[in-house]
Amino acid sequence: MGTAAAIVLIAAVAMFDSRGVFTTLPGTSPGDVGPSWYPFWAAALMGVAAVFVGYRTMVTPQPAEGAFATRESVTSVLKLVIPMFLYAFSFKWLGFYLATIVYMGFFAAYLGRYRWWGVLAAATLTPLAIYLLFEVAFRLILPKSIFYTMGFPL
Amino acid sequence: MLDVLGNLGGGFATALQPINIAFLLIGVTLGLVIGVLPGLGGTSGVAILLPISVVVARGDIAGANSTTAVILLCGIYWGALFGGVITSILFNIPGEPWAVVLLFDGFPLAKRKGKPGLALTSSFLSSFVGAFIATVLFTFFAQWIADKALSFGPPELFAVFVLSFTTLVGLGAESPIKAIAMLALGLLLAAVGFDTLTGSQRMNFGNIQLLAGIGFVPVTIGLFGIGEILASAEEQGIGYMERISARLGFKDLFEALGALRQRLWLVVSNSVIGFLFGVLPGHGATAASFLGYGLARQYAKDKSEFGKGEISGIMGPQATADAAGVASLVPMITLGVPGSPTSAVIMAGLFVWGLQPGPLLFIQHQDFVWGLIASIYLGHLFTFLICLAAVPLLASIMRIPYAIITPFIITISIIGSYSLNNSMLDVAFTIIFGLVGYWLRKMKYPLAPLVVALVLGDSTERELRKSLIAGQGSIGIFFSSPLATIMWVLAIVILLLPVLRMLRARMTGPSVRPPAPAG
Repeated sequence: MGTAAAIVLIAAVAMFDSRGVFTTLPGTSPGDVGPSWYPFWAAALMGVAAVFVGYRTMVTPQPAEGAFATRESVTSVLKLVIPMFLYAFSFKWLGFYLATIVYMGFFAAYLGRYRWWGVLAAATLTPLAIYLLFEVAFRLILPKSIFYTMGFPL
Repeated sequence: MLDVLGNLGGGFATALQPINIAFLLIGVTLGLVIGVLPGLGGTSGVAILLPISVVVARGDIAGANSTTAVILLCGIYWGALFGGVITSILFNIPGEPWAVVLLFDGFPLAKRKGKPGLALTSSFLSSFVGAFIATVLFTFFAQWIADKALSFGPPELFAVFVLSFTTLVGLGAESPIKAIAMLALGLLLAAVGFDTLTGSQRMNFGNIQLLAGIGFVPVTIGLFGIGEILASAEEQGIGYMERISARLGFKDLFEALGALRQRLWLVVSNSVIGFLFGVLPGHGATAASFLGYGLARQYAKDKSEFGKGEISGIMGPQATADAAGVASLVPMITLGVPGSPTSAVIMAGLFVWGLQPGPLLFIQHQDFVWGLIASIYLGHLFTFLICLAAVPLLASIMRIPYAIITPFIITISIIGSYSLNNSMLDVAFTIIFGLVGYWLRKMKYPLAPLVVALVLGDSTERELRKSLIAGQGSIGIFFSSPLATIMWVLAIVILLLPVLRMLRARMTGPSVRPPAPAG
């Protein structure tokens, strides 16, 4: 029900943004429906479909809708989502390589519970392989840390 | 006929160049690895490596070009088509959605009957035969389809797009209404940014970065790559997995060949049906695999062995799935309409490399098309041989600890999305759509219509408006040719199929529904 409501909300926002569908914009070719027609009606179709889904969910409640199976399943997902967010946010300061060292090392230590040398290997080998593949072989430059301008290599 | 053989010869000359062979081997090996990993599907594997294919296509590596890039991406797909079955058969965990059907008979044959080698070789052999038959059909009919497609104008092309959207809704989708919602969401996302005909801004809410639109690559990496990892984290966690050691010997191969000879009619007919099914835009190997299983059951005299390790329950769906996988490239190459989510991502690659999929591709880029077709033959041969040789090694990938493989896949997904435009906004899209994909999957919203609509949204709108401009605003233009009218009628019939199914179900009472296809 919540998912359908969110889709209806997105549809409403998109339809509001495309309200120009009811006016002919200057420069529109004869016969053309204009730039707002397509997003407006796509949003309308999406909204109607979501209302129908929501109605059916209300009439015949779906057990899976809106609920996680167990507390463990929520924890499993959050264990991946929170570090992923922090990893992506840290690019701005740590750059790609330092962030990846921390990220891989964290998983090896926290989820894998490896010894220090295992954590070190997991944390360094992945960024090294990515450096060799992306920067050396494919010449794609990845973001560096704020220390890079001070002479730090990563 | 001679023309086709001549072109195919030229294609082999292209595909057999050392650089193309090298990338084909890299592709199929990566595909096998991706196929074995339950957290990663063929579509997400192709999507994650799309940025690398851009580097390959622009010729940064000596001798490589766009043909090398498409060979790499398709190699991943072929590898994943084969590799996905390994975990189904050995661990009872499908590596790919199209390998789910092998849980019915593959795992029982491996475990209960103690024949993992026979189960694997039967699967590889039928995959190879199915793909080979489909590639022969592709070779001889793709040009014909492309020639016919050249006579298409905007109304016909718009009808093709509508038909491909309706097949996503009408055939196979578990909930047609949810499929419509996802389709419309894809069309809406495709509309963000500049309007291509008038240059007006729309749906960017004042954000300058959104004027470039929402790229389908970061979205696809998020929906399939990150989304699948989150979904499998929730469903499976880090638990005990039942494992069977696998070694393949010549005995298994001969036994599988004997089984194939007994079921030759089933494998050949399922391959042809798989090809025809895969050519329909919007379908992939998953739906075909269930169709193939149903047909195998239908043909069997003794149905009691199904579900207990019946070889027909492996060979039937595998031949159909691989044939459909190959066939899904046909509408992508000839009409510019992807036949499956994976081919939608490969088509995204063609756009990024500066190629326009569609009938003109056969005229303007003959080397590319025939090189690709020849590489399909080689790709499947290599995959088959690698599979036979490397099953124990591939099975050991499953033993890479979760704490290493999962962050590694997320890291590769994020770099893949960043490196396309050096944009952190794309990284944000990948993460957001990763969460969205996970949630939609959980709520049983199909993702394939969203991706196909996102990829085709711009072209659909362009052809719609070009038609209306040509017809001075009259909708009669959409029925101006018999071909367009036929496609509209077909689209309406397909769209009405779920309604007819529902009415029939009401009239005949409740029935058991087969598992819904996912990709």
